[in-house]
Amino acid sequence: MHSIWAVARNTLSQALRMKIAVVIILLMLVLLPIMGRIMVGDGTLLGKLQTFTSYSLGLISFLLCVLTIAIAAFTLSNDLKRKHIYLVLTKPIRRAELLAGKLLGIVLLDAMLLAVFGVAVFVLILLIWRYADVPAEQRLKTQAEFFTSRVAIKTELDKAQLTRRAQERYDKLKEQDQLPEGMSFASILGELYGQESMKEQKVDPGQVKEWSFENVRIKNPQDPNAVIFVRYKLQAVSEPPDQKIFSRWRVGDLRQFEVGAQIKTPVPPVDRTDTVRAAQEFAISASVIAPDGHLGLAFYNDPTLNQTTVIPQDVEVLYKTGGFAGNYLRAILLIFVRLIFLAVVGVSLSTWLSFPVTILICLVVFFAGLTNGFIVDAIGSLQTAVGIIYSFTVKPLLWLLPQFDGVYNPGSYIVEGRTLGWTFLAAAASLTLAIKAMLMLLLGIVIFNRREVAKAVV
Amino acid sequence: MQNSQYVIETISLTKVFPDWWGRAKVIAVEDLNLQVRPNEIYGFLGPNGSGKTTTIKMLLNLLHPTKGAAFVLGGTVGDPKISARIGYLPEESYLYKYLTARETLHFYGRIFGLPASVRKARVETLLEMVGLSGMGNRQIGTFSKGMARRIGLAQALINDPDLLILDEPTSGMDPLGTRQMKDLFVELAQRGKTVLLCSHLLADVEDICDRIGILYGGRMQVEGTVRQLLQHRDETQIRTKKLSEPALERIRQIAAAEGKSLEVENPMDKLESFFVRIIAKARQENQRTSGAEVGTGIQGFLADKPVTRSGVLDQLVSVKLPDGSDVEQAAPVMETPQAVSAAHESPDQNVLSRLVEKPQEVTTESVSTPAPAQMQEAPPVKKSILDELVNRPDGGQTQITRPQKPEEPDHA
Repeated sequence: MHSIWAVARNTLSQALRMKIAVVIILLMLVLLPIMGRIMVGDGTLLGKLQTFTSYSLGLISFLLCVLTIAIAAFTLSNDLKRKHIYLVLTKPIRRAELLAGKLLGIVLLDAMLLAVFGVAVFVLILLIWRYADVPAEQRLKTQAEFFTSRVAIKTELDKAQLTRRAQERYDKLKEQDQLPEGMSFASILGELYGQESMKEQKVDPGQVKEWSFENVRIKNPQDPNAVIFVRYKLQAVSEPPDQKIFSRWRVGDLRQFEVGAQIKTPVPPVDRTDTVRAAQEFAISASVIAPDGHLGLAFYNDPTLNQTTVIPQDVEVLYKTGGFAGNYLRAILLIFVRLIFLAVVGVSLSTWLSFPVTILICLVVFFAGLTNGFIVDAIGSLQTAVGIIYSFTVKPLLWLLPQFDGVYNPGSYIVEGRTLGWTFLAAAASLTLAIKAMLMLLLGIVIFNRREVAKAVV
Repeated sequence: MQNSQYVIETISLTKVFPDWWGRAKVIAVEDLNLQVRPNEIYGFLGPNGSGKTTTIKMLLNLLHPTKGAAFVLGGTVGDPKISARIGYLPEESYLYKYLTARETLHFYGRIFGLPASVRKARVETLLEMVGLSGMGNRQIGTFSKGMARRIGLAQALINDPDLLILDEPTSGMDPLGTRQMKDLFVELAQRGKTVLLCSHLLADVEDICDRIGILYGGRMQVEGTVRQLLQHRDETQIRTKKLSEPALERIRQIAAAEGKSLEVENPMDKLESFFVRIIAKARQENQRTSGAEVGTGIQGFLADKPVTRSGVLDQLVSVKLPDGSDVEQAAPVMETPQAVSAAHESPDQNVLSRLVEKPQEVTTESVSTPAPAQMQEAPPVKKSILDELVNRPDGGQTQITRPQKPEEPDHA
């Protein structure tokens, strides 16, 4: 253990005396306040905070990732190149311990820098909040939608059912010998699935669509001021000229209407005018939730206001489960997971690759991680003919790639005030670190243990 | 652990460097059977590219042998238990340039798991010993080659190793440092450590090594003790203080009676001794230097282990110092006029060693009697190593030597 610690300390001082760390620290300490000053977003306090947080977290993450990659790729390969390693490996230290020490040093540096920058951004957010000169209504909105940690319950299409219906319709068409000519089975089925999905989602003028949510458990149901949020997007089949859609909602325990029993919890109406295709959100008192955690949501496409068929999408209910600070901490930790992964990749690769090659691969891995969803989708949509080759070659490699986008992007949680749960964080950490990074590290250790660290000199 | 009587043993050690296609390109070391016994200074010689460094790298597990095996202290260096007992000084400075001298030593001390207090004490004493105590907070990158070399030596000693592997230890060192280093190695061997000294500075090796092996083309060409290999068995050297002309004449007559001719000269200083003296003088005048200072003698933490040296020399020493080890502990810096230096097998005592080595053949043995007397007169107080160096008379090549200032008290 003492040898790991010795190497870690040495790596830390190496990183600090390489000017790159200092440069990044100074750069951030200048950039962050400037960003806090000049970013305005959509002009509201909420918009300003969302824009600032999104960019500053993104910048921290990006710069620290690049710093980690540079140091991780440099430290061991430089030891090998400059032969510092001769004097280290001839001391009582195992090669795996040397790697562990290098990693520990980089991780400590990351932890320190992340703590400094994390606190700096947090303080700036609070300063912007405190010194903003805005009406009280905006402050309330910001408090409810930004300085919070909300869990979302999403509505999802029952894909299995849609597939079954598409299959049934296909069978029926085949029976009647009405299958369109010149189309493959897959494309016909795809077409039918699309139709079924559309049928499921659309709301014609005069129609009502209902959703129901279970287990809506807010943090303190007794609080009369507690609110929940309904978030959605509206699409129109034929877009209205002013891009506006009128919607009438009822939120509450809709089961009470069916039975005709007396109404215990309120089911208030909400009337709104929304822009198409943009995410919308409204708040409503949490007293609408039934005691058993049930919540119903109804959308009425009023034919007197709209003339078009409306498709509500991404309908979800959000409710507060925790505070902003805890959520922010977990978002920072998610960045930390990313940094540790990159450190492992850099050190593992540099056990057998030179510095330029290592840093190149690390950067590719980093950017692939940032666009993981896109890459996987793009390759996944290739024709079935290459599918088999793909499953055995690229797919395992893609699986090894880290995922930094989509649900693994910490900024989006903070910007939308969504809860980044400990469970999710733990799952992400164990997948990225305990499995993917560990595999890379073991490979690095095996190679490093077998290789000759001295060069052939005669 | 120790399953062999040798500290270093290689069995048919071979290293072939292949080319890109895997074909044998260069045979760096071939069928090398090296055996270094405990507690000796082994000189590993050879011209450039003869495979010395490759052998050392295989001993240290930095290269894997193509064939054969290398055992160090009964194991391999990959094992932390073995590595903990080795000190290694590579041919160049492979120290981290961004660390200061003090941080460097602390870093290696930490890897050995030395407790903080022990580590701190050792670092300070080592810095003092290699003469860099004033420069402990300077970065290694700003050091000259020789100064980096001194730190290299200090890091090799921080764990009080049983085996020292030294690759060109004196390269880049000034004569003063070289001299000090050589004395240190002798002293370390005296304290029970084994030294593998790899060098092509033949004078250094000749001065201090017990046994030498000469490598060429990856093969061991010759191996043996320095005395065996270098001694002129058909010549006799006598050394004394300045003799009167009649006395010389009588000795000539004795020699003539045996049918031998006799040459008489005054011994010359070696340049090394001369240089050391000049620097000592300048130092006494307190001239400032930004370079390395003169270090102190060997440090107390380097364990003093029972020495199992054999040979006439030890008998000689034991006669004079029945309780030799105690004396040594009391005064770690050996204040050694000729006689004890001879016991160290130091370079300039060839005369003495030859005299004692061949008591049967040599008839003029009685000349050596002043030596023990001198030893007993030696003050037991600690003096700087420099004084000792300055006072040391030199053998030179004369048949009858007259040390120019053998009894001169330390003028320091």
